[in-house]
Amino acid sequence: MLSPYGLEIIESCLTCKLRADKIFCNLPPQSVQALEAIKYTTAYPKGAVLFVEGQAPRGVFILCRGRVKLSICSSDGKTLILKIAEAGEVLGLSASVSGKPYELTAETLDPCQVNFVKREDFLRFLREHNDVCLRVAEQLSEKYNTACHEIRSLGLSHSAAEKLAKLLLEWSMKNGGARQPDRMKLTLTHEEIAQMIGTSRETVTRLFADFKKRQLIQLKGSTLVIRNRAGLENLVSP
Amino acid sequence: MSRKHDLSATVLTNGPMSDGLFSGLPAHALRQLTGIYSAHHYPSGAVLFQEGEPASGIFLLCRGAVKLSVGSSHGDSLLLRSAGPGEILGLSATLTGQGHEVSAETTIPSHLVFIKRKDFLRYLREHTDVCLQVVESLSNDVHAAYERVRTLGLARIRHAHN
Repeated sequence: MLSPYGLEIIESCLTCKLRADKIFCNLPPQSVQALEAIKYTTAYPKGAVLFVEGQAPRGVFILCRGRVKLSICSSDGKTLILKIAEAGEVLGLSASVSGKPYELTAETLDPCQVNFVKREDFLRFLREHNDVCLRVAEQLSEKYNTACHEIRSLGLSHSAAEKLAKLLLEWSMKNGGARQPDRMKLTLTHEEIAQMIGTSRETVTRLFADFKKRQLIQLKGSTLVIRNRAGLENLVSP
Repeated sequence: MSRKHDLSATVLTNGPMSDGLFSGLPAHALRQLTGIYSAHHYPSGAVLFQEGEPASGIFLLCRGAVKLSVGSSHGDSLLLRSAGPGEILGLSATLTGQGHEVSAETTIPSHLVFIKRKDFLRYLREHTDVCLQVVESLSNDVHAAYERVRTLGLARIRHAHN
């Protein structure tokens, strides 16, 4: 079924073709059946806010399609993007388990399909399915890993140039399966990239110009090509 | 450097650990536990594990204190927090099988219980109640880490805009 946002909605987890590739959803049939009974499938347009930091946890959001921006915000409006979540991730997990408020704000970057599970249903689901409990522990471990990586990067990186170079190399590594891993589509604005590396939009624009001048990268519209990988790697601490 | 102690399973279910991972376990689960853990005493300054090192298992801190930190290749180090009695160390890396995200070092003489990764994963698969405690403990770790990201990250952004 096609939603108004151009998404093909996957109605049932049992027949979902993507399930095998996703970390969380690839569960034994009886657990998927139980999940099927407690989830609410919803389609969101780009720019929809799933939850806001500080809000009491209502439940978890299993991202089936699309990307979601996870960020934290200060009282004076400054934003830091922690991660761009992709299909297969469970959002709002640690808050739903601990009962503490959501630590992050989740906003869709593309039209998304999300399966929402209410907190009390999710906690019961965990208690009754050991395999799900283990899968959740794995997902939380990944989240902890990401947070530690971010702490290291924020607390110990020396310059914005180093952090931008590191980010571009990480994106290219994620793009590893593509035919041309050094060529990628930039889907974030300079403002959003600045929010990812903890600097200002002006600094990101200046650094892109500088990287281009030094022939480290090439920018054609929204396509970025890494021209000198070794050069970028030199900017990053070994 | 460690000195093995003759310690019964009651250490894990009484005192600082009583509200934690192994609270309220049935007798057979406790017996099974006794067969897989080893108890150790560490002096101050002992390194339990280092960032990047593959996880060999989890440490349960019964007595003492352990500092958790991250480091850079320049030799700089950032203290994340100090762990106290009742906490589990090395949990996420043990679950994912990846390298430790942080380094752990005792700051005072400490008493710890160690469970090998393979034994711990098997134990978790067999005991949902322990697995639920693990999930809760990880959630708290994630919360604490995000809180640190907030402090560091927003301060950095403010600095960049000034």
